[in-house]
Amino acid sequence: MSFKAWRRLRRAVQILALVLFLYLLLGTTKGGSTLLPHDLFFRLDPLVGISAMLAGREWIAPLALGASTLLLVFFLGNVWCGWLCPMGTLLDWTPFYRLRRGRSEVSPSWGNVKYLFLFTILVAGALGSLIPLVLDPITILFRTFAGVVLPVLGSLTTAVNSALYRVELFQPVAEWSDNLLRGILPLNQAFVLQNLSILIVIIGVFTLNLVQPRFWCRYLCPLGAFLGLAARYPLLRYRVSGGDCIACGDCADVCPAGAIDSRREYAANSSRCNVCLACAQMCPTGAISFKWHRFHIPRIGRFPLRWAGDLLDKNRYDPSRRRALGLFGAAAVCALLLRYIPDISKRPRLPIRPPGVIEGEFLDKCIRCGECVKVCPTGGLQPSFLSAGLESLWTPELIPRIGYCDYSCNACGAVCPSRAIPSLSLEEKRNTSIGKAHIDEERCLPWSQGTDCMTCWELCPVPGGAIRLRRHGSEGGSGGSSSVLCPQMIEERCIGCGICENRCPVEGEAAIRVYAAGDEGVELV
Amino acid sequence: MDISRREFIRQALLLGSLGFSASALFSSTACGDKPASKPIPASTFTPTSAPSYTVEPTPTAEAAYLSVARGQSPTAMVQAAVDALGGIGRFVKPGDDVIVKPNMGTAYRTFEQATTTNPEVVAALVALCLSSGARRVRVMDYTCSGLQEDAHTHSGIAAAVLDAGGDMEVMSLMKFQKTSIPQGCDITVWPVYTDVLQADVLINVPIAKKHELAVLTLGMKNLMGLILDRHSFHENLGQRIADLNSLVRPNLTVIDAVRIRTSRHPFSDDLGEVELMNTIIASADIVAADSYAATLFGMTGADVPAIVAGSDMGLGIMNLDSIRIQEIEV
Repeated sequence: MSFKAWRRLRRAVQILALVLFLYLLLGTTKGGSTLLPHDLFFRLDPLVGISAMLAGREWIAPLALGASTLLLVFFLGNVWCGWLCPMGTLLDWTPFYRLRRGRSEVSPSWGNVKYLFLFTILVAGALGSLIPLVLDPITILFRTFAGVVLPVLGSLTTAVNSALYRVELFQPVAEWSDNLLRGILPLNQAFVLQNLSILIVIIGVFTLNLVQPRFWCRYLCPLGAFLGLAARYPLLRYRVSGGDCIACGDCADVCPAGAIDSRREYAANSSRCNVCLACAQMCPTGAISFKWHRFHIPRIGRFPLRWAGDLLDKNRYDPSRRRALGLFGAAAVCALLLRYIPDISKRPRLPIRPPGVIEGEFLDKCIRCGECVKVCPTGGLQPSFLSAGLESLWTPELIPRIGYCDYSCNACGAVCPSRAIPSLSLEEKRNTSIGKAHIDEERCLPWSQGTDCMTCWELCPVPGGAIRLRRHGSEGGSGGSSSVLCPQMIEERCIGCGICENRCPVEGEAAIRVYAAGDEGVELV
Repeated sequence: MDISRREFIRQALLLGSLGFSASALFSSTACGDKPASKPIPASTFTPTSAPSYTVEPTPTAEAAYLSVARGQSPTAMVQAAVDALGGIGRFVKPGDDVIVKPNMGTAYRTFEQATTTNPEVVAALVALCLSSGARRVRVMDYTCSGLQEDAHTHSGIAAAVLDAGGDMEVMSLMKFQKTSIPQGCDITVWPVYTDVLQADVLINVPIAKKHELAVLTLGMKNLMGLILDRHSFHENLGQRIADLNSLVRPNLTVIDAVRIRTSRHPFSDDLGEVELMNTIIASADIVAADSYAATLFGMTGADVPAIVAGSDMGLGIMNLDSIRIQEIEV
């Protein structure tokens, strides 16, 4: 098969992988099912697997599938980056560098950054922190879709449909669109402004494409670095035939990973090579090929220069041993800082976590992927911003005012790839408290104004109710006193679902609010 | 390196849309801090055709104004009650687009807990409408607590309705439009589900319960499932319910009193507060139906603010002595 045909196949596989990623993402709904595991890409991502298992000190069987990606890359070279990674595919399709004239020269020492990120992730993971894992590309992509793209699309389409619907002529169109999108987009989920912070990362990633193609992949991606290490001596390897090579340099120009070194007779660095085959297709004399090699690891130091493609890559792009140790040390320092400084800083407020979560362990297990945010049917689970500290960044918290924890739902635990949220049965979930509601008597309508309300009492789902109504006398304006039914908490029954806070008719901050267990900031009753 | 014009435009659009979306999002308002009901567009929606709630006057001397059926089988009771009013043909004509509105206010209870309408009653009505030649029968309610889809299942209504050949509809936020209420005394405009105003026939199927705020929740209050902003609706509730009823006028009201809820908590799970009454009340007059249902709780229509307000507005007859009631043992 010609390299042109291989390139076409590669393009098809890229599209397929991206479509699969989106299909699994959109199919992650409460009560929904997908043909393949919805968290397949997290399972295939070895960086997520190793970090989550390290930090959580627990063997997580589904995530062990990452080993197969390592094996694949070990044999075939870094085909993940070039053929499967959805982030890579999207970056291929946004060649912003073409908008600029001329090329940028990027200092090769930038290539160290991705190893710094990788080592920081691994060291931090060993220390029990998953904060740096937010740099993993699969989590970046999923989190961006779940936290920003889909809710915004949902809000936009609802607004457009609403507007269309008011014109009688367009009502059938609006209805059709509404029905079609209902199963695909989260039409009910509100977009939360603080989620824009998630967008900053991905905008940065794509904007860097202005500088060089796949800048993220080349210089920053920790997963790419990890797989690159595994792909150092692949069995399927780039080879350039010295006899046919006319040193035109086209291959080095076209390589999106910058893996071909013109100074070393156009040998390629397998760690960087994405197996995109652009070089092989481009070569005018057909000097470049990808061939199977016998398995051997060349001895360092003494090595006959026979095939350029076998060259041990001690070139300037990848870190030497000394540099690697230096990076490791720097990474260790970063990891230590990230691990311990948030611990000793005062936490602003305890976030309300999904049911079954133990706060102390949660941050060591949550990979900040956004699966639970996607699946939450009321949109109550949102990525935390800074309200609960840096270590809590983009971990899920329940914001009752946006969405309550549905009494008939246990989806978040069912979809969590790293079991940071335990998978509870509906019965168990209904008996698990995530917080307690407290009534702010100064804002509550019956308490403060003597007007009837009863909304919180009416909607509380627990058997018997966690709120009772008691007659409370109040001074009437015209001198007479009247009594009105006022709500009171029955604390021990409250599971903190937040439907009371969500539906409280008081504008702005609700008059009944849920606080996470153990939150010191409770000034109310 | 030089790029073609086409390439430039393509790339610029891509990059530009990224930038635009980033900036647009910065300036957009977050709709994150309001309670579940979304903000409604500012201008008012007026249905282009007037709601077609014409019910033929009692065609024969034998047909009752209000019928009460008692028995063991909800299906048989519904059939008998509707027949006593003159048959389903009086309300549903061939080719009609029918909406049946039961109470599915919560997704967290089963029908034995008497918080939602009895599924057999709903299915019996669906079957009757289809037998009268209805083009389609849709069953819907906008749930207060829980998701609509869950309410459909847990109430048992979805299974029964689909069996009978009807459709369950998930009410879409898009269709709630601010509608003017010309006869409203307390409120003159409110977001109402437009499909209800555009359908040919509306059949209201509440379950009879006591209610802390409204005293009783029966047919008139059941229509609250068709509006948004319910939390602010609760001010001056009785009059506002009547105002709503002046706009949305069901052709037929069938009150499910197979089980009634005798505590004032409409969504309680306590089975001890459920009383088996095995009764179905039906009438084209929603005020009269509610007024009769009040007697099941040992009250009269005059004890319920919504009924009084409705009667004052001329929406129906509260005084049971002046109407022809037929009681049937099934």
